[in-house]
Amino acid sequence: MSSMAEASLARLERIAGPAAILGDAALLAAYDVDGARPAAAVRPADAATVAEIVRFADAENLALIACGARTKLGIGAAPSRYDVALDLSRMNRILAYDPGDLTLGVEPGITLADLRRALAEHGQFLPLESPFASSATVGGTIAANAISPLRQAFGGPRDFVLGMEFVTGAGEAAKGGGRVVKNVTGYDLHKLLIGSLGTLAVITRVNFRTFPLPAEERAFLAAFPGSESALSFCRAIVHSPLEPRRVEALDAAAMGLLGLAPAEAASAEDIWCVLVDVAGTSGIVARHERDLERLARHAGAKQFSALEAADREKHLARALEFPRYATERSPEAVLVRIAALPAAMPALAAESRRIARSNALESALLLPAGGFAYLALSPREPGAGALGSLANALSEFFKTISGSALHARAMVESCPAELKRKISLWGPPRGDFELMQRVKETFDPRDVLSPGRFCGGI
Amino acid sequence: MNAKLIRELERRLGRDSVLSQREDLLLYEYDGSVEVARPECVVFPRETRDVADIVRLANQYETPIVGRGAGTGLSGGALARDGGIVIGFSRMNRILEVDAENQRAVVQPGVVNLDLTRAVEHLGLYFAPDPSSQKSCTIGGNVSENAGGPHTLASGVTANHVTGLEIVLPEGRVVRIGGKTTETPGYDLTGLLVGSEGTLAIVTEITVRLTRKPEAVKTLLAVYEAVDDATESVVEITCRGITPAACEMLDGWTLRTVEDFVHAGFPRDSAAVLLLEVEGLAEAVEEQAAEISAVCLEKRAREVRVARDDRERDLLWKGRKNAFGAIGRLSPSYYVQDGVIPRTKLPQTLRRIEEIGRKYSFRIGNIFHAGDGNLHPLILFDPRHPGEFERVVAASGEIIAHCIEMGGALTGEHGVGMEKNELMPLMFTPGDLALMRRVRDAFNPTGRLNPKKMFPLGKGCGEVRVQPMPVSSSLPA
Repeated sequence: MSSMAEASLARLERIAGPAAILGDAALLAAYDVDGARPAAAVRPADAATVAEIVRFADAENLALIACGARTKLGIGAAPSRYDVALDLSRMNRILAYDPGDLTLGVEPGITLADLRRALAEHGQFLPLESPFASSATVGGTIAANAISPLRQAFGGPRDFVLGMEFVTGAGEAAKGGGRVVKNVTGYDLHKLLIGSLGTLAVITRVNFRTFPLPAEERAFLAAFPGSESALSFCRAIVHSPLEPRRVEALDAAAMGLLGLAPAEAASAEDIWCVLVDVAGTSGIVARHERDLERLARHAGAKQFSALEAADREKHLARALEFPRYATERSPEAVLVRIAALPAAMPALAAESRRIARSNALESALLLPAGGFAYLALSPREPGAGALGSLANALSEFFKTISGSALHARAMVESCPAELKRKISLWGPPRGDFELMQRVKETFDPRDVLSPGRFCGGI
Repeated sequence: MNAKLIRELERRLGRDSVLSQREDLLLYEYDGSVEVARPECVVFPRETRDVADIVRLANQYETPIVGRGAGTGLSGGALARDGGIVIGFSRMNRILEVDAENQRAVVQPGVVNLDLTRAVEHLGLYFAPDPSSQKSCTIGGNVSENAGGPHTLASGVTANHVTGLEIVLPEGRVVRIGGKTTETPGYDLTGLLVGSEGTLAIVTEITVRLTRKPEAVKTLLAVYEAVDDATESVVEITCRGITPAACEMLDGWTLRTVEDFVHAGFPRDSAAVLLLEVEGLAEAVEEQAAEISAVCLEKRAREVRVARDDRERDLLWKGRKNAFGAIGRLSPSYYVQDGVIPRTKLPQTLRRIEEIGRKYSFRIGNIFHAGDGNLHPLILFDPRHPGEFERVVAASGEIIAHCIEMGGALTGEHGVGMEKNELMPLMFTPGDLALMRRVRDAFNPTGRLNPKKMFPLGKGCGEVRVQPMPVSSSLPA
């Protein structure tokens, strides 16, 4: 546990108010990051207090890690220092919502679930989805840039976040972007915070554009005799005029991991499934059903069927939770997040499986449309050699994707803390790393925010 | 300028790649804005290596550098405010790669926006950002300004269509950021660079997303007897969650001016028209077009016309995209603003603009991206009349102040440049601006890259622009 002087703790308590947790190891355990425990956790209720806390930490040379529901704190390297957890879960208000204008401003601690309910009252939604859906917060989801399965249809946060307010590592309140749907005034500083894992600034407000809820929704599941045919179906969808909300390809291991067995040939190892969700008026849904079935059959589907409402919910929710299922199945589980070109996906799938097998690992793949993939790895036999096999597999994987025609980029999103010390979670550094260091120095010159947690030790 | 530097540039790039005679430079002292600033030389690199060498030479001689595409920008972004070297990208105009399978293209910055669409059309693809100047503006310029256009309502602005860049840093180093994949690990430097108005680095290669052409398109023209009915239609369309691909408005004076020039088919006796487009699946287009028609008629549109064929559709769009040229025929000069308001505030905002026009005795035409609340009030004036330009600045200042008061933004797509830099404090606190300056300094520590842009210099508004020049051919988005 981080040690902080008594006097320091007392001053922090004066700033943070009564909701602070000081020195109580049992309560503070909930804020552990990769085995490191903070000396205090503070729970500010507003942006001004956040700024005061960061200024205090800056002055006292303390390291802060901002968090919301703490569902994604495993992402990133182990912190090099960690003194205070900056828990933003009390900052959970909707600050501005103009349904007529389809714009929204929220505090970072609001959960996606609460926000979904509030927007649904006005027939709207935000295409921001994340694993740990029942507790994940807006701030954490943005900071981790979680891959939303809606990404192909609605873009990522970069596309629908209009602006943010935040507090830099020097404790200055600042903002980037704005509150209207179109705006090119000044630098888009807020875009830097998306996926920054809290290493640049503490987000205190996010402005979004919202979207109307569709009239009808329906999901389809198609089963294929292998990755080639399944992924050719996915590509055919992308190149068709269809506009599905979600398209996810899963190998048999992924279906098994999620407890979703395809109706046909559940035992066949090479079965791949593609889950497609569509939305719109009944005419649009019907058109999708017709065309999707034709495309699926053409690609060689052995089965294509619409899912009943309850079944649809189950499939969509579990596919969304793939990272959670993948990481919770074993203490030695590894989850790799990959961005690749759609055309490279079949090769990527084959290579991933080959590398897993040659290192005696189990693998499962889930490929959301839009050029993403999740690769879950875990040892077949837990034991002493497991970490070594995982480390080998990851280094082989990074070697395979860099310098090949795969054009893939990857990061290890989750792995045992021990493994984090052995490998680079982001693969080899790239030519723009020095620019990232400059950005970090600009926002957080004295390394107050989540030190050591970002790529290259930033 | 240092003659030795010019000689060195000539030696490195060839004499035909360097302009330094006064009469040659005159062409480069303008862009699409009302600003003027003359560079000391203009150079035309052919490849990234040339750009890196130019930048290194400029450093050696401590000379400012400004990138320039087609010079269609509306905020003075491509003008050499502190003199120095303008890098013209007209020779770096190659499409380096079209990857239809992955819907990407890699282009040099001098590629003209519409040329990229033309080059990929046969593959069923296009480049979505469509500023009205798309026949001449370059993708490099689009990236610098984060350009928009009528169809950005549904498909997003330039930033939503760029996945990677090759940049030359002010010290002459070439770096690749982002890539062809949808995302790359690390900070989103591409997101920061797009729209940074040439103040952080010089872009030498751009990887863009290509979009699949929609299966069906329908273009509608809703004709109104009152401006309020048109603006209320926009509010209602937005509230109902209908997102047309484009939703443009022209007020009565503007549509008559355009009609006399382009003969697009806008009824001369109407008070306003909305030009709307829906695209996508055939079924969706039918449904949306019907819904939009119903809203417009409910809001007292006199008529809602649907373009019968491509010819009629092209003509309507020609009217919209050539509007600024048409207006240039009537007035010695005009000043166009680019403020944004929440869309629900359109009716009162247009009424306010009319009041401001009356107060200052200016004709203000309105032709703008109504669907996303991005205004383009055009103030017509004659710069030969003493004091008139100052009054234009005052009137446009009131319009902008209203936009900000409504919770809006200074500029929706034209950029800040040297035109709105003194207005930045309306939207950003000193703290916001200090951080932005530090970001600039992190990339561009000497400030020699596009100096005196975007950030306030501390002069009062109105003192800055003292040399208004007639503008008649620019084509704002």
